[in-house]
Amino acid sequence: MATDTSKSNSDGQGAWLTLDAWAVIIALLLAVAVKCNIFHNVPW
Amino acid sequence: MATSVSVTSVESGSPVVNALRIVPGVLLLAGIGYAGKVLEKTINTYAKAHHWRFPNIEYVLWAILIGLLISNTLSIPRIFQAGIATYEFWLKLGIVLLGARFVVADVLKLGGISLGLVVIEITLSLALMTLLGRLFKLKPKLTSLLAIGSSVCGVSAIIAAKGAINADDEDSSFAIAAILALGALSLFTFPAIAHGLHMNDVSYGLWAGLGVDNTAEATAAGALYSDAAGKVAVLAKTARNAMIGFVVLGYALYWAGRGQAEAVTNKATFLWKKFPKFILGFLFISLLVSFHTFDKGQVTSLGNLSKWAFLLTFAGVGLRTNIRDMSKQGLRPFIVGALGEVLIACLTLGLVIGANRIWGL
Repeated sequence: MATDTSKSNSDGQGAWLTLDAWAVIIALLLAVAVKCNIFHNVPW
Repeated sequence: MATSVSVTSVESGSPVVNALRIVPGVLLLAGIGYAGKVLEKTINTYAKAHHWRFPNIEYVLWAILIGLLISNTLSIPRIFQAGIATYEFWLKLGIVLLGARFVVADVLKLGGISLGLVVIEITLSLALMTLLGRLFKLKPKLTSLLAIGSSVCGVSAIIAAKGAINADDEDSSFAIAAILALGALSLFTFPAIAHGLHMNDVSYGLWAGLGVDNTAEATAAGALYSDAAGKVAVLAKTARNAMIGFVVLGYALYWAGRGQAEAVTNKATFLWKKFPKFILGFLFISLLVSFHTFDKGQVTSLGNLSKWAFLLTFAGVGLRTNIRDMSKQGLRPFIVGALGEVLIACLTLGLVIGANRIWGL
């Protein structure tokens, strides 16, 4: 399996939003959903 | 050059098409992760009901083992590849959400200790790997990549450094393969050694965060020991990741000085570009929790969401580890990496034991 080291999906070069930014945005959306009780008592 | 993992970026195209492309692979990650969780529960219940003395194998290990089994016995269809490559996104999402399980005081205390140990660890690791690279007559840029990968944060650091020091694809693939192979081994060796030494959760978590190179493996190695150790391992590893810009900048300046890499025009911009921004998200969530933005149940929910995100990461760790591909890599970089890693593991263990004596972790 080839490893493409020419692009990094961690620094998101060339992408319109980096992977880090996506992770933070989705985490904040989830935090808002939890705060507003849209996600209530998430099980584990 | 073959390695164990496809980190292929999502190709440009319609956002809807890109989102659909990752669905099969994400479902595979979720399926494997959930199977690991079900297996842990089922086997424990069965062993208890039949009075078996069966060791408790955590869902983390089951998820990794199932992934390993699939990637090493079957050829994973192309349709799953894009989704499997998202394991890194789930890792970062999990880390940001894990901020909910730390109040700022914890981050400052443990993070401060971690940062101090990280600076010592990075300095010694860089010196050690450079020395070993010279002893084994590795190419200078391959030595630099191995030193960066083993001292800071594995694959991400190597990828970040590759462009900065103008290293070729072959060298970076060698370095990535060595770091991943050693990371896979550490999943089994670190917890076993720590159990033998009866380490407490905080000490072990610090050791895993300092000694295991790749963030996904460090998170898994921590979680394999205990939930609390996993938490600390992520914090220590995050402190290590924060140093990526400084180390890569140092190497970029070194190679630019020798006329073998592009000159760095603006150091501050360079540092910001290389800084892992998800750390800011982690700190922000931790800050929100410290100011009681969430009630106790909501904090638990955020912690559980973090665990679900990590579950997909652990499945990805197994799926991207292909032992056959790793064995195709040259032996010398692996030996240098292995020797260096063993010494760094001993060194970080000594640092953690010393810190435990001083601060009583």
